[in-house]
Amino acid sequence: MGEIKDRADLVVVWGANPAECHPRHFARYSVLAKGKYTPDGRKGRTVVLVDIRPTPSAKVADIFLQIRPGKDFEALTALRALVKGHRVDQARLEETGLKLEQLQDLVDRMKRARYGAMFYGMGLTMTRGKHMNAMAILALGVDLNEYTRFVAMPLRGHGNVTGADAVMGWQTGYPFGIDFSRGYPRYNPGEFSTIDLLTRGEVDAALVLGADPGATMPQPAIDHLGRVPTIVLDNKITHTSDLARIHITTATTGISASGTVYRMDEVPLRVRPALTSPYPSDEEVMRQILEAVAARAPNGNGAAEDDDLKSPAGDEQRSLEEVVAR
Amino acid sequence: MNVVTATLKEELATPLEVEELSPDVIASLTRAEILNLPAHLGNRERRLGDFFEVEGEKSTCLELHGDLSRVKCIGHSMTQGSIAIHGNAGMHLGALMTGGTITVHGDAGDWLGAEMSGGLIRVHGDAGGQVGAAYRGSTTGMRGGEILIDGGAGIEVGMRMLRGLISIKGTVGDFAGLQMKGGTLFLFGRAGIRTGAWMSRGTIVAFEPLNLLPTFNYACTYEPTFLRLYVKHLQKLDVPVPERGWGGLYQSFTGDTSELGKGEILVCQPAAAEGSSSAS
Repeated sequence: MGEIKDRADLVVVWGANPAECHPRHFARYSVLAKGKYTPDGRKGRTVVLVDIRPTPSAKVADIFLQIRPGKDFEALTALRALVKGHRVDQARLEETGLKLEQLQDLVDRMKRARYGAMFYGMGLTMTRGKHMNAMAILALGVDLNEYTRFVAMPLRGHGNVTGADAVMGWQTGYPFGIDFSRGYPRYNPGEFSTIDLLTRGEVDAALVLGADPGATMPQPAIDHLGRVPTIVLDNKITHTSDLARIHITTATTGISASGTVYRMDEVPLRVRPALTSPYPSDEEVMRQILEAVAARAPNGNGAAEDDDLKSPAGDEQRSLEEVVAR
Repeated sequence: MNVVTATLKEELATPLEVEELSPDVIASLTRAEILNLPAHLGNRERRLGDFFEVEGEKSTCLELHGDLSRVKCIGHSMTQGSIAIHGNAGMHLGALMTGGTITVHGDAGDWLGAEMSGGLIRVHGDAGGQVGAAYRGSTTGMRGGEILIDGGAGIEVGMRMLRGLISIKGTVGDFAGLQMKGGTLFLFGRAGIRTGAWMSRGTIVAFEPLNLLPTFNYACTYEPTFLRLYVKHLQKLDVPVPERGWGGLYQSFTGDTSELGKGEILVCQPAAAEGSSSAS
């Protein structure tokens, strides 16, 4: 983000509304900020917004491209072809709500830019095509690097989701959708990602750490969370904690517990508590759970003995209750 | 003929992974050894005999019975023999296989025949997504062999396939033929959106109108004689091909121009409206 502040002269925001959802983003990094090589701040940058409707972010943009809902992948793929100087079918392109001239103009600006930055949000990642939409904007970024320096970055939400991705990444090599059941990490979104596992009813217990899937996941996934023993670590009552069998209240990182959070560009920031809390930190609870699990796995690889498999759920609950009591 | 029959004892609540359930492995094993093969239930290593009743031994013909929709990796990397599944099959059926035959008298899960390079898979029901696809992070999907599906299939069918043939009679999800590098994909039913996205080479043959990406350009309407070889071959494999498939007119589109652009999509024209546009 510091690099974008210092260098970006073209900023493209796709399917996101930072003016409302990331209120300090424009001011601190991408639009108004004056940087080392962007001394003119706002005047030295061109801002393009692509979205299905004019949001408050459109007022900040120099160019607003109103795309039809669900046509992001088509438009991004057409942009990739235009970047390479290849032909696109004009009639089918116009089904996206955008004209060839508009996209060609955008491509020309992108190629002319000294340093371009693309930010994308849930308008891209949570609409039909999901991961492929994200892949399309990332691929466009790769293609543009044949001509100039370009970066593409998701505008993340929900606190420290970037931290989860970053830590998983350096621990296992994969950011999410990881399976550890065979004793080593395996990656396969769709097979091992949480929503899919829950929707197919393939898990018989769940541990939710600082998230609220009960408010965000599809109903079949939420229903399954309610059916299996679910343990929630959160500093507040949530939809998920309501349906969980155990809710362990934890201290709030950055307010009453120390810890590390990751900025959306994966810069780790150490936070210190300003207040004390009667509750343990997430880390403390997880460490105690890990110790309790390790104590019940004499073979040392995290797998319980066969007898444990047959033990009633009450036993597992008791051990967790012991953790809570401690 | 000597056949090994395995019947699932009871429905599974969590997935079971059984890479060893393959003709290559059981070919030389006695019944007791087959029962003792490893099976992974969650993070616990169990025995095949915990879940299956087994009859027969030392055979490359394997017959499976029961709802195996939560049994993953059957026939993984198999090179020979046959598997007949009387019921549904779980994910990764026939993944990385190089030879042999798999027949499913039911539905199959995701990643059917993923990265296979030989052999034949026939599914009489529906299949999940990523049929014949490349695994995440892998550059190449199916490298050879044939997958024939009588029902429909999910998303990303034939993703990054390089060679081989996939035929799907029913509807398919979005991104069929995603990033195809070669091979042939026959779609007899309706397809979702973004068919052929980012394909660089290969052929997709569609018998229903497609909603193509703007990065596919109309080339011509013609009668591709080479398709008769495929039609003949599919008919030999008991895949019913519409009459217009033989000697009919096809609209040819080339793309995807966001990539190499040497892929082709052939859309079979309805017999009554030859020459009219089938792609919107």
